[in-house]
Amino acid sequence: MKGAAVGRYRLHVNGERREVDVPSETPLLWALREQLGLLGPKYGCGVGACGACTSLVDGQAARPCITTVAESQGRRITTIEGLSEDGDHPVQRAWLELDVAQCGYCQPGQIMSTVALLAANPDPDDDAIDVALRDNVCRCGTYTRVRAAVRRAAQLKRGDR
Amino acid sequence: MISRRAFLGGVLVVSVPLPAHAATGFTPNVFVRLDARGRITVTVPRPETGQGVRTTVALLVAEELAVGLDDVRLEQAYGDTARFGSQLVANSFSARQLTQPMRTAAATARCLLVAAAAQRWGVPSEECTARDGAVRHGHRVLRYGSLVRDAAALDPATVPVTLTPPERWRLLGRTRAGRVDAKAIVTGKARYGIDTRPAGALVAAVLRPQWIGALVDTLDDSAARAVPGVVAVTALDPATSGQGGVAVIARSIPEALRGREALRVTWRGGTPTADSRVWLAELETALPAVPAAPGPVAFEAVYRLPLLAHAPMEPMNATAHVTATGLTVWTPTQDPGGLRASLARQFELDPANVRVEPTLAGGAFGRRIEPDPVLEAIACSRVAGAPVSVLWTRDDDMRHDSYRPMSVHRLSAVVDAAGVPTWRAHGIATWPLNVLPFFNDPAIVKLNGDHFPYTVPGAVDVTLRPAPLRTGFWRAVYAGHFLYAEENFLSALGQRAGLDQVDLRRRLLPADSRLRRVLDAAAARAGHVRPGFTRGVACHHDYGSVIAVIADSSDGEVRRVTAAVDVGSALHPSGVRAQVEGGVMDAVSTVSGAQITVREGRVVQSSFRDYAWARIDRAPDIDVVIVPSDAPIGGLGELAYPPAAAAIAFASGQPVTGMPVGVDVG
Ligand code: FES
Ligand code: FES
Repeated sequence: MKGAAVGRYRLHVNGERREVDVPSETPLLWALREQLGLLGPKYGCGVGACGACTSLVDGQAARPCITTVAESQGRRITTIEGLSEDGDHPVQRAWLELDVAQCGYCQPGQIMSTVALLAANPDPDDDAIDVALRDNVCRCGTYTRVRAAVRRAAQLKRGDR
Repeated sequence: MISRRAFLGGVLVVSVPLPAHAATGFTPNVFVRLDARGRITVTVPRPETGQGVRTTVALLVAEELAVGLDDVRLEQAYGDTARFGSQLVANSFSARQLTQPMRTAAATARCLLVAAAAQRWGVPSEECTARDGAVRHGHRVLRYGSLVRDAAALDPATVPVTLTPPERWRLLGRTRAGRVDAKAIVTGKARYGIDTRPAGALVAAVLRPQWIGALVDTLDDSAARAVPGVVAVTALDPATSGQGGVAVIARSIPEALRGREALRVTWRGGTPTADSRVWLAELETALPAVPAAPGPVAFEAVYRLPLLAHAPMEPMNATAHVTATGLTVWTPTQDPGGLRASLARQFELDPANVRVEPTLAGGAFGRRIEPDPVLEAIACSRVAGAPVSVLWTRDDDMRHDSYRPMSVHRLSAVVDAAGVPTWRAHGIATWPLNVLPFFNDPAIVKLNGDHFPYTVPGAVDVTLRPAPLRTGFWRAVYAGHFLYAEENFLSALGQRAGLDQVDLRRRLLPADSRLRRVLDAAAARAGHVRPGFTRGVACHHDYGSVIAVIADSSDGEVRRVTAAVDVGSALHPSGVRAQVEGGVMDAVSTVSGAQITVREGRVVQSSFRDYAWARIDRAPDIDVVIVPSDAPIGGLGELAYPPAAAAIAFASGQPVTGMPVGVDVG
């Protein structure tokens, strides 16, 4: 790690091309937060064990805290900021409707895991929800509302009332 | 009153003495102000840790000012108890202590606005009403904005203040609104301590003592200083700067962490062989003797409880800027006012030169009463001559917490012919909370933990042994220990006598009591035990509130939890349910396997991988019944955890000998 050469990396974040000058092993999370000012993805553990940083890489839920900047080049990265400005993405709307958040710190990660889940499975049952969100820890204990909100988001996405 | 907040990528907004609109606006008190256009700003005196205080305050003010929830803008109060009163988030105080002052602050503003309109129209105030941001008299309407100047000129002493009676509440207790910060949270715009980075700030990571109490013996920082981006390295004095260790100050977090990895440190002192199994055995031998019973003791049981970490989702962090004349701190804290006072004392500064800006906190659970990351950030800022943000890694957070103490409980009972207890004894051996010397007193620990809800006379006796590591406040504090043992013991007695658990408790509660009402409400909602399910029941009263919890399990998993609460007025119903849901999930986690253990002087767990906090797949359905009540407003944040843990443990159907269930403790 020491003396790792600083390089310029091109990232495709939330539909924009951005450049960062960092050593290649720099975790994407810190490039997003410290270089690009995208503070929505949270640091919770740095070892891929909590889900607080969850963002999308090429549409899949990924953990930027254990993904390097070098690995992220040329991929489409979506952070919570990239979902919508005003919270009108179906998953965000469901989260607002069910008043899911307590402290809110884990919620960007919960939401991004849900976006990835619904892209792959538009009508997940409880087991599918458990599998997709198992690695998103909520220390405040909002899980029952998260589960309800995932189902609601699926409805909203399908256009159901 | 402009709060000074600065965030990464943002601009440092320097505080100005008074906002421009103060000249034309209306500031009847420190909590509420209206500008010349009638826009309402509320200063929230206590910090948001996820308990929902910002929403409660916004609702209280919107109710009394007769406006909608969206019509009030919130500002977070900086630390200043002289100005804002106590700012401590603890003991489930916030709703209880803020309701009256916030209602009064807003009602004062409303009554002055009404008086100003009445004066203009030349009619008595009593004939005017305030609604939807305007004062009305017959067909005449004056918006608040047009009254601000006149209201500001009135002498408040001449205008009587009347509160809106609860039967006329539109929002409090009735709103379906979610929390006020929800939109900021779901769009990623909510800003926490970790998001604070004033212009020119550096960051720091700390290499912490390798075992409990270890001190730096030798330090070779040459390799660390050679890491690109590292600016300085400094040893932290545990007497003044938190828990000791060595801080690496750098331009960015990854650089600080790389620098930390390159440190070469040897350690001395402390307790390198400490082992939590040994601690537990020591507590067991320290149990107080069972007092003389008034009859034959029918049953005796011992329960062993582990260490628990707070592990808030946002790891501990703080940002500090030390200047020639003073100090500014940005941090997620449970007590900005107390923190400011203690920093002024410790650093011998005029409190006027100490600024504490609380950020949103990603959970707190009692951990953020303590200032250790703040003291580290101050030490680093001093060395660096710049603002410094100290970020704890998750590993730091879990291994250097102030833990919930271990405890051992011995319970015994005398029972009547039906098996119902008529006398009980509860002996407890545990540690004090060494973050607050006040707690080094068995009488204080007993006062805090002894809330047995039932009418069974007996004796409760506490022995304290010196705590072998840092111990602190953990949601519900000692009530979480005491009630867990007491309710599991009562359940065991009921089971031995073949009694229904709800009936047993009913017999032990006065017929017209609040506890009896919530127990009945929970039992009615939970219905009969379904085939294949086992049930646990527990009650609790504390903070002026009461709760009953019923847990139903099958195949060793808790599937459904029904809770009925009486908190006096449930000001924000969704928030009330959320606090109960959170307490229930803490119970699921701690009963099903989360515990902290110590081997060779070191906490074993370092992340959510090995601190087995429950995930979504362990979450039961949670049904919260809010029982209507005219009792005074009670606290709630810590109410649900103790009875939920007891009910869930017993519902497991396994013999309960401690916590977690079915796992070796320690
Ligand atoms: S911070 Fe990335 S998984 Fe925890
Ligand atoms: S809402 Fe606080 S950690 Fe999930």
